[in-house]
Amino acid sequence: MVLLALLTALLTLVPPAPAAAAAGGRVLLLYDSLAAGTDKEGNVAELQRLLAAYSSEVTLLSIDEYQTGQMDGYSRIITVMNNGDIETVNPQYARDTANFQGQLLHIGYHVPEQLRKAMSLKTAVDPGTSASLSIGDIAGLAFQASDMPYIVSFKGGRPYGSLSLEDGSLQAPFAVSAGRYTYVPYLQGDSGLLGLSYVLRDWFAVTDAPHTYLVLREIYPFSDLELLEHAAERLYESGIPFVASVRPVFGNTSFPAMERYAEALRVVQSYNGSIVINAPAVRPPINSSDRSLAGKMSTFIDVLVNAGVAPLGIAAENYWTYDKEYAPAGMGFFDSVVLFPDEQIFYMEETNVSKSFASSLYSMTWEELTGLPHTGKALPQLPLDTAVTLELPEAEEELDAMLQSLQGSWMNFADYRQGNHSVNTDNHTVVSSGGVISINGQTLNVAYSPQAVDGNYQYQEEQKVSFAKLFSVQSAFFIVVIIFALLLFGALLLIGRRLYRKKY
Amino acid sequence: MNGNLVKTTLRQSILYAGLRISPAAMAASGVLLVTIVALFVPPFIGMADNGDFFRIIYSNGLYFNLPDYDSQYFGYFVKQYGIFQYYNENGTMLHSSQSLFIKLAIGLNKLFFSSTVFDIRFQAAIYLMLYAAAVYLLVEGLTCRMSRRRGMAVAAAAIFIFGDTGYTAYFNSFFGESAVMITMTLVFASWLLLYRRRYNDYALLFLLLASTLILTTSKQQNAPVGIIVGILSVSLFWVRKERLFRCLTAASAAVMLLAGVLTYLNISDEFVNINQYHAMTRGVLMTSENPEKALESLGMDKQFAILKENTYYDQYGTADVKSEILQQDFFNHYGFVSILKYYVAHPGQFAKILDTAAESAYTIKPAAMGNYEKSAGQEFRAQSRFFTLYSILKESLAPKTFSFILLWMAVTLGMYMPSFVQAVKLRDARGMQRLVLIAAAMLVGLSGIFVSIIGAGDADIAKHEFLFTLSFDLVLVLTVSGVAGRVFGAERKFPAANSPRLGPAAAEGSTAGKGVSA
Repeated sequence: MVLLALLTALLTLVPPAPAAAAAGGRVLLLYDSLAAGTDKEGNVAELQRLLAAYSSEVTLLSIDEYQTGQMDGYSRIITVMNNGDIETVNPQYARDTANFQGQLLHIGYHVPEQLRKAMSLKTAVDPGTSASLSIGDIAGLAFQASDMPYIVSFKGGRPYGSLSLEDGSLQAPFAVSAGRYTYVPYLQGDSGLLGLSYVLRDWFAVTDAPHTYLVLREIYPFSDLELLEHAAERLYESGIPFVASVRPVFGNTSFPAMERYAEALRVVQSYNGSIVINAPAVRPPINSSDRSLAGKMSTFIDVLVNAGVAPLGIAAENYWTYDKEYAPAGMGFFDSVVLFPDEQIFYMEETNVSKSFASSLYSMTWEELTGLPHTGKALPQLPLDTAVTLELPEAEEELDAMLQSLQGSWMNFADYRQGNHSVNTDNHTVVSSGGVISINGQTLNVAYSPQAVDGNYQYQEEQKVSFAKLFSVQSAFFIVVIIFALLLFGALLLIGRRLYRKKY
Repeated sequence: MNGNLVKTTLRQSILYAGLRISPAAMAASGVLLVTIVALFVPPFIGMADNGDFFRIIYSNGLYFNLPDYDSQYFGYFVKQYGIFQYYNENGTMLHSSQSLFIKLAIGLNKLFFSSTVFDIRFQAAIYLMLYAAAVYLLVEGLTCRMSRRRGMAVAAAAIFIFGDTGYTAYFNSFFGESAVMITMTLVFASWLLLYRRRYNDYALLFLLLASTLILTTSKQQNAPVGIIVGILSVSLFWVRKERLFRCLTAASAAVMLLAGVLTYLNISDEFVNINQYHAMTRGVLMTSENPEKALESLGMDKQFAILKENTYYDQYGTADVKSEILQQDFFNHYGFVSILKYYVAHPGQFAKILDTAAESAYTIKPAAMGNYEKSAGQEFRAQSRFFTLYSILKESLAPKTFSFILLWMAVTLGMYMPSFVQAVKLRDARGMQRLVLIAAAMLVGLSGIFVSIIGAGDADIAKHEFLFTLSFDLVLVLTVSGVAGRVFGAERKFPAANSPRLGPAAAEGSTAGKGVSA
């Protein structure tokens, strides 16, 4: 107990890691095309996820639909021009951009004239080549590019990273920034997004140190819970704090199966594991009038809290932040989020304005991170708060391999509980700050010894039986009467048949 | 009996003068008229989509063209759909004979209405024509050996039952129940007409075969129908002595069986998953007093007890039903056979779910789906009450326990048993057909219940049990027509030429004392 108290006291002395970079504010994201069917397909969606990780509230708008004045009220605008073939850009957009006084980030073709002038920018287009990107800790990330605009020259700006063609014929900056203008000539695939993450850090003027978190995914109530507990213990022994993204349960929460699930999560929590609730699996909505999500999420949070488990955030695919139902009803209880890339999109009611969070993690898989070429021994540290995701192992051997891989990575994972997170329902408030979790103002003691769950649960309430004895006597009486009547009837039939035969 | 022949009233004179139509034509016209008013006169009655339509319509070249279609699910009936103009990239999601009717309706729609917009009423018109023909044949089978007055009473009962918009509203929808309704009625009618020795036996055998094939292949849950009808129709083999007829009968039975087996094998993975999921969550787990023990007895992880009463269609769930974890640890650990074994080992639980099934067994039109178009200004999920007295009475009056179903079967079979026994004694294969037909209809109906609960638990059960409720009505109308005959009039006397043989079918009056005749 003394040791525990000492540990708690020490933890409270550690300055809390900032929950997120300075809030990114409102950003207007304009695009000319989603580049479907090209190498650049998906770059707008990934950019949206990147912007969310900088805690910005994004308004997504097609340039074709842009109307005069829509930039008013925004201090930051990003334009993605994927299509180099279009002849003219929406004049209303062009006019407003020329007069725009805020931060302007332009990506791709059709660079605005004022930006070009401000940095004496000269660009050219390479028809198709193998290239590589070096930026930050990342060195020589190769990618294939077609019709790639690149910066030939600029004046008075700050360059970011460098692009090199495979044949060595070109060395150009990945991006350049001067005053309120920033230009990124090419955005495609992982290389483009990673490069842009460095550019955005400056664009949003983020100064706090970024953190990397380990997130275990695919944790269900019917996962191997013993293995989950063992994984938590082994990670704890290895000094690796982690986040468990746990699947919600919306019914039968009083069943022993739910109790065992909660028990396992308490054990995870006791081994330095933080809990975030994974968004529920969503079916294609067949009825947009279903508004049950808020109630379900709130109930599940309360069930966890009542079991001594403190959820600190939500993990969801990025499109959830662009849905009028999912964002407020499913994510509204949380101020912290882990955003996964979109896998299967089933909007209930799509909107073009995203929900922003005080703490927001950009996620990438362990394989993606370890696949990045880097300079030092340690894996590269990305410039933004990042969740590195791994699926819960299914066997001890997989767990061994996972731990070996993590220990050999020299990656310094942060403790999610050190950040500021809060979760609010009508019944409970969970707050995490500086490594201390409190529920309704009371500090939560995460230390926990697992307890056996009583399997003798009464699944169905026994119906109240009145006059049971009387009815049972009555029933027996009628059975006797009916049997007697049947026998009598049979006997009469036999007698009747004999009489009939005698007569005829 | 002679009353209606002797008293020549003015009304009868008019009837004899020009309006003398047969009870069968009367029933068919009545059903036609009621259904035309219901489906083709505003406010149009139909069935709202419960999310199933896309499977059948997209593969047939139709799509949802209403921008707010999503908001009308369950609530409102939609009568117009878009027709794909270019390449349809949607593969066949559902192999069903229902596609024949949809394709025909699209053809007519393109010919008479539009090549871009499909009006579902073209499909309703096709179904209605076929249905009226089926009702005609059914009532002809019921009344061809009756007096006119009695026949008219049976015709009125047939209109009352089969004109009910609980049945006919399905025509204005893409549910497979429309095809089931028509073909099951045709199966019953053709078999009954064979028993009655009415019309050409070869033509009736062909009708029986064709309608059984369409019925079996219309829905995957109808796979047992082909097997049941195929096996029982073997009894038709002895109806005629000609070698050709016997060959054709044997071949037909084999084809029906094969259709049943192929339909079963053709069930798509997604359907298997949906039904398999419900069979566990809405069946075994729902009825078990201890779901964890039930799971353990099936060799599964007891933690899945948490899925008790979940449905595949839940908007929000713990796990994606198609997820790897469910596929590996859940679906791969049980199937139809293991669940069947489980119920055999737990008869109490089986009885419980049978009673659950019986609660919805008399519902013709599920309450979950609305019947009006949104433009009709009715509430979301509003149900039409036009000509629904029978379905309302049936649903509210029928005892909703499985014991009643067993009792009804026992009483009905018992009633027809004496004439069957006599036919057996007389080696009259045709005379035996009535009981065989009733048994077939009952087994087909029961298969609807069993397949539903073992294959899908109680999910969507009212719709899944459509085959039972229809079979019940077909047998009921056969029984009632026999009983009603004794109240409304006597038998019509036939000249000897019309009853060329002895036996219950030809001489019902003579066997009346030994069982109900109809």
